[in-house]
Formats: sequence, C-alpha cells, structure tokens
Amino acid sequence: MFGSQAKPEAEEGRNTMSQAGPVTETSNQPSETPPARRAKTLEAKEVNLYYGDFHAVEGVNMTIEPNKVTALIGSSGCGKTTFLRSLNRMHELTPGATVKGNIELDGEDIYAGGVDPVAVRRLIGMVFQQPNPFPTMSIYDNVAAGLNFNAGKVSKADKDAIVERSLRGAHLWDEVKDRLGRPGSGLSGGQQQRLCIARATAVSPEVLLMDEPCSALDPVATLAIEDLISELKKEYTIAIVTHNMQQAARASDNTAFFNLDESGKPGHLVEIGPTDEIFTKPKKKETEDYVSGRFG
Amino acid sequence: MPEVRTEYQQELDSLEASALGGLDLVSSALSRTLEAIEHQDIELAQIVVADDDRIDGRYLEVHQALITLLATQSPVATDLRLISAMLHVLKNIERMGDQCVNICKVIPMSGHEPPADEAMVKLILTMGTHTKSLISQAKRAFEERNVEMARDLVQRDDVVDELNRECFQLALAIGDDADKREWAMTMLLTARAIERIADNAVDIGEQVAFVVTGLFREFEDASHPHADA
Repeated sequence: MFGSQAKPEAEEGRNTMSQAGPVTETSNQPSETPPARRAKTLEAKEVNLYYGDFHAVEGVNMTIEPNKVTALIGSSGCGKTTFLRSLNRMHELTPGATVKGNIELDGEDIYAGGVDPVAVRRLIGMVFQQPNPFPTMSIYDNVAAGLNFNAGKVSKADKDAIVERSLRGAHLWDEVKDRLGRPGSGLSGGQQQRLCIARATAVSPEVLLMDEPCSALDPVATLAIEDLISELKKEYTIAIVTHNMQQAARASDNTAFFNLDESGKPGHLVEIGPTDEIFTKPKKKETEDYVSGRFG
Repeated sequence: MPEVRTEYQQELDSLEASALGGLDLVSSALSRTLEAIEHQDIELAQIVVADDDRIDGRYLEVHQALITLLATQSPVATDLRLISAMLHVLKNIERMGDQCVNICKVIPMSGHEPPADEAMVKLILTMGTHTKSLISQAKRAFEERNVEMARDLVQRDDVVDELNRECFQLALAIGDDADKREWAMTMLLTARAIERIADNAVDIGEQVAFVVTGLFREFEDASHPHADA
C-alpha cells in the first residue's frame, strides 16, 4: 500500500490516481459526493517516542477505529502531539527523533523497511493548528497541490473534479467556486482551515490527523469545523488532538487521555474509551480529575 | 448562516419525542386501569402491572441519554432548561406509571361481587377520564411550549381534587358492613392514586413554564393558594 522508496507504485483502491473509482465517477457528475466508505484502522503497538535520549512518550497501545473520531486529550507536554505526529511519520522529521514499536494501517507497518514516508503522509494526512494554505497559490492550486506534487499525470478534467469534490467535502465549494483563481490567503481563518482540509482530502487519504485544528478559530468557525469533521468520518478515520475538552466531548466518538506523572518523565496513555463513557463514568481517577478540571 | 450542530439538535428533538412518548404509555396504562376497575378485570390489571416495565425502561433509557448529552454537549440556556425539564418530566412519567400499578394491585382486593357503591365507581371513572385529558393537555403544552395551556392544568386539576374529596365522603357514608368498608378503602386508594397522577400532570405543566420563562416554581401550593407565578 505504501510503495517503495524508489518509485511510487500502482496501489489498490482509491489511493491510485490512475485507477477507476471515485475519480471517474465524479468527473461525470461533479456535483455528487462520493459514497461513504469503510476507512482503515490505525493501530499503535508498544509505541515509544524519543527526542534523542529523552523518552517523550512510553508504551502506547491503542486502536484508532475506522470511520470514527478519536480525540487525544491531556495536559501540556504529555506527549499527545508527539504521538499524533508519529502516526504519519512526521515525528522523525525532527533531528534525532526516533520511534520504537509498531504503527499499522490495516495491519501494514508504516515504519517497515522500504516504506516511502511521503506515501505514508499522503495516506495519513495532517491538518495543523495554524491554517497554512500555500500563500502564493490560488485556492484551486492549493487543493490540487498534492496532486501536482505526487507522481502520475492527472488530466485537467480529473483535477477539476477532484478539486470540486474536495472543496464540497470540506463545505467550502459554495463560498469559493466563483473565485478559485484567487489566493488562498484571502480567506477567513475558518475558510482557510477548510481549505487545508480540502487539500488533505484531495489526495484520497485513509486517515486524517488534526492537531488542534480549531484553536486559532472563533467559536462559530469552530462549530462549523466540528460539523465538518462529523461528515468527514463517514469516509475517513480521524484523530484529533485538542486542548478543548468540550470539543473532545462534542466532536469525538472515542477519547484517549494522555498524562505525565511529572515533568521529565515520559507521557503515557492513561485511558481510552468511548467519549460518552470517559465523560460520564471514566475508569481511572486520573481521567476523572482531568476531565472535571480538577487539575490542568 | 448555515445551521450548525444539527446532530445535537436532532438528538435533543428525538429525546424530547421519546420522553413525551412516555406520556402516551402512561395514558394507555391509565385507560386500561380504568377499564380494569370498571369490569373488575384482574387479568387486565395484571397486564398493566407487567407493562409498567416499558415505562420504567423508557425512563432509564432517556435518562441515560440526557446525562450523556449534558456531559458531551455542554448545553446552556434553553437547551439546558429543556434537558433539566425532561429529567423532571421523566420522573413524573415514571411515578404516574407506578400509580397505575398501585391501582391495579388493589383491584383483586375489591372482590368479585358487584360494587358496593355504584356512585363511587362512577366518580372514580370520571376522575380517571378527566385525568387522561389532563395528561394530554400537559403533553401538548410541553410540545408547543404553551405556558397558558400549562397553567390551565391547575384549574382542571382542582376538578380531580374535588372528585377525590367526594369519594372520601361517599366512603365515610358506606356503613358498617365489613366487606363494604374494605371495598370502600380500596376505592379510596384508587381515587388517591388517580389524584396523584393528575398532580404529576400539573408538575409537567410547571416544567413547561420553566423551559419558556426560566422561572422554576410551583403554579400554586397549599401554603400560598393564590400566589402569582
């Protein structure tokens, strides 16, 4: 599924530009959204993360369920963002950062030898806290960026269809369809974030990782993104790091609580479970104390 | 401005429908109870007792869902008042169901002879019919958020209270026959239970006023009979 480092290979399912599938369907009927599909499961097994000698996160075992939203919560410095970034091989971009353990996408280890990390990052996309559309590119080109950078020639018609599908999927099409040639930076914060989501989904990922996607947005834009996330999970597996507990409570199906015993110690997963249980009857006292705001 | 939080709104609407649907279950339990009284139908009475599980089940299920909604959606303002009101209304529904059960449990004790006092049975059936219409009105008042309709429940409940007092007078006058007296006591328990059901309907009306006005208070109570709400 990830191809080798040497050249990207034809892949199964909707992850290949050259295969039939949603691409051909949408170019015939550009205004129809693709049908909901079963996304993939992301599984962490005994994951330990290091920055050089510093043991940042220890022993994480968890399943990020397909077509569901998993929220990662916990106090500052507890490792949740470090863990998130290991899920699509961005952790290793920090010099000296290393990963031990396995992370599997539907059973295939994303860290196996010969796996192309770029292919991983396409299948497991990321949306960041600060919306970051490419400032000099138009809205159209922002969405199509992933198609342009990745190998395989995509016809103009197919590209148009993918751009429309992605913008519709991000609930942004109606607002920007008449100005696709204008710069991405001219949009509001909430619109920019939706543009980044469209950009991530344009390359047909399996998983979307979101690192505090609403922290820079006002409450109305935040709720709009949360509604969007709830639509997106019909097609993707989603993990979202959030500082905002009410957001985790509102917008997720499962919640994973990370904590630090004390500064300098590695962060670890305390408890993971269905969100309604975590917020009504958590199993661990630590979790209860955190969600009820009894400690930061 | 596009609508947001549609799933949350849908969940809230669905729970309200479920909670108020409990009133339909109560209404039907009360109908059967009245029929069981009228025809001394012990089997029907047993069915009412068994079916109360459905009312209890509705109570528990909607209660749990409301707690989850409180925990996960941080409701405020009207949403919060609505959820609080529904928690109260569910309790009222559960109590109303239990009162039907109480009545049905005493029916076998009223014996198989014809009733000692036809007038008393008539009074009770009238109380019952009146109470059913109170339940309907309470449900509509809640659905429509109609405070006037809710407040009107107080006066209509006065009728039920008056009938209950009349029952009591009839029971006192029933005479010395031990069987008759026993029968009269079971009828009094029945009348009392119906009076309690009607009272619960008024409580639901008070919750309507809370949702709409934000003021949580009784429409009237014994120590302040003419208080302005």
